[in-house]
Amino acid sequence: MANTEQKLVLALPKGRILDEVMPIVRAAGIDPEADFDNPKSRKLSFATNVANLEIIRVRSFDVATFVAYGAAHLGVAGLDVLMEFDNAEIYAPLDLGIGYCRMSVAEPQELSGEDDPATWSHVRVATKYPEITKKHFASRGVQAECIKLNGAMELAPVMGLCSRIVDLVSTGATLKANGLVEVETIAEITSRLAVNRTAMKTRPTEIGHWIKRFEEAIHAHAS
Amino acid sequence: MNDLPDKALLPIGMEDGLPPQAAEEARLAERLVYEFGTWGYGRVKPPLMEFEENLLFGNGAAMATQTFRVQDPLSQRMLALRPDMTLQVARIARSRLSRSPRPLRLAYAGQVARTKGSPLRPERQFGQVGAELIGAGGPAADVEVILMVAESLGRAGVRNVSIDLGLPTLAGAVTDGCDLDDAQRRRLRAALDHKDRAAVAAMSGVLGETAARALDVMLESVGPAREGLEKLAALDLGGDAAQQRVHLARVMDGVEAGAPDLSITLDPVETRGFEYHTGVTFAVFAQGVMGELGRGGRYSAGEGEEATGLTLFMDMVMQAAPKSEQPKTVFLPWGVTAAKARELRGEGWRTVSALEHTDDAQAEARRLNCGYVLVDGAIRQLD
Repeated sequence: MANTEQKLVLALPKGRILDEVMPIVRAAGIDPEADFDNPKSRKLSFATNVANLEIIRVRSFDVATFVAYGAAHLGVAGLDVLMEFDNAEIYAPLDLGIGYCRMSVAEPQELSGEDDPATWSHVRVATKYPEITKKHFASRGVQAECIKLNGAMELAPVMGLCSRIVDLVSTGATLKANGLVEVETIAEITSRLAVNRTAMKTRPTEIGHWIKRFEEAIHAHAS
Repeated sequence: MNDLPDKALLPIGMEDGLPPQAAEEARLAERLVYEFGTWGYGRVKPPLMEFEENLLFGNGAAMATQTFRVQDPLSQRMLALRPDMTLQVARIARSRLSRSPRPLRLAYAGQVARTKGSPLRPERQFGQVGAELIGAGGPAADVEVILMVAESLGRAGVRNVSIDLGLPTLAGAVTDGCDLDDAQRRRLRAALDHKDRAAVAAMSGVLGETAARALDVMLESVGPAREGLEKLAALDLGGDAAQQRVHLARVMDGVEAGAPDLSITLDPVETRGFEYHTGVTFAVFAQGVMGELGRGGRYSAGEGEEATGLTLFMDMVMQAAPKSEQPKTVFLPWGVTAAKARELRGEGWRTVSALEHTDDAQAEARRLNCGYVLVDGAIRQLD
């Protein structure tokens, strides 16, 4: 096959998911160079034991961007990020079964008692996920005005920015500590192996190989 | 002067083509239509605008949200600026050329405009070059169109073309008996488009075991086409779905026989962008180019006529095509006769003539990006 000398790039998300995904990556037979685990290293891309495979470490939303534009051929991204992007160029063929949480609508305890969602025509919502939020409310005929925040969503209702939030919830402890209750689940979230569409079409054997390796690694991991 | 940069601003997705790329794109488009011509496809030239209701009905409805509209000051009716030329060719086939013998082979090249670009291709105006084979229902027609696009791109210099075969109607046929509401169908379609096996598996409750298993095998068969078809072959499919699978396998056999070196992949679940297609479809890729160069497939041309066709997107083909060599340009200093200039052009030179006397012809030639200069009747190459 021509062009196989072009390196495959695997994009991994920084933060919480990284610790969970690395055992799977290693079980799939990919070992990054030592700098990858060195917190003092300023490197952003890393060679691996696989000659034509390189790892980049970026923010979780940027994994989707890199994969969508084909700058990375493979990536690990939460379903939340993939849903927010809803990009035709990103495939998500494999559920890695890590990073479990749910995307939920939450509101202050006192509001949830008196509120009747059937009467809404418009809601104001603080979220990191404006596209998912708009679609979710639009499907019930409600227009959602989204206030984009990048973190500490739980503060928004407390500080009077808006009365509802859409955010990821895992244990619910943060919500509770801020006097919020979950009123609705939008989606169950796990991390997926994301694949660039063109890469899958033009390098099917290599990409297929890695999907299989990851699949085997999760099964080994789970059992 | 200060407002010049402002005047240069173009709307998102619109751009000026400059030398030499503009000429290159035009040459490439002409070459492709010419190649289609060598396969017996006659060129048509539909107008830029048509009455909205004539263009955006039936198959055209899928393009409605992508269409710019203006009101016609003469007829007071709404006009659509064409978002796609396939629709127009199908209209020509069922109206003005309804009596022409079938199968009817038509080709076209032209610009289209769309209200929205995609993240990967923000262009809102781009060139389409395509061909339609109308009034032919069998797999041989699909094979012809696929072989033609691969061969034509190859002749135009595009290397490492690969074809992704699809069957967007198969999922519909497989889930025909399932009791899904609209929201569930949308969710299933999105899951299939993203090859999200987990999301499809999560719907197995509403899909039932047979359909869920069939869809999982279909997802599993995405990849190299021969292996994919073998996986599909193991599926126990009923009437319509089984027929579609046979058609797909025949297309695969034909393409493989006709172009043994062509890389072929299979994707029997993708529907995005194939909203009005009724059978085997395909997307064209080239290694090293992000995104598809074009796409095509089987559709209904109206009046019960089956058709298949293809469309190439020139902005994408340009990315895949090798840069062709610029013709040699010779600078003709002031005083060179018209006859001499004509003679040089006749020999294949591109001439740039001085419009007034310059002291240093060589410097002037360099300034105007000419690689050669005429000195005392002889052409000298500049270093």
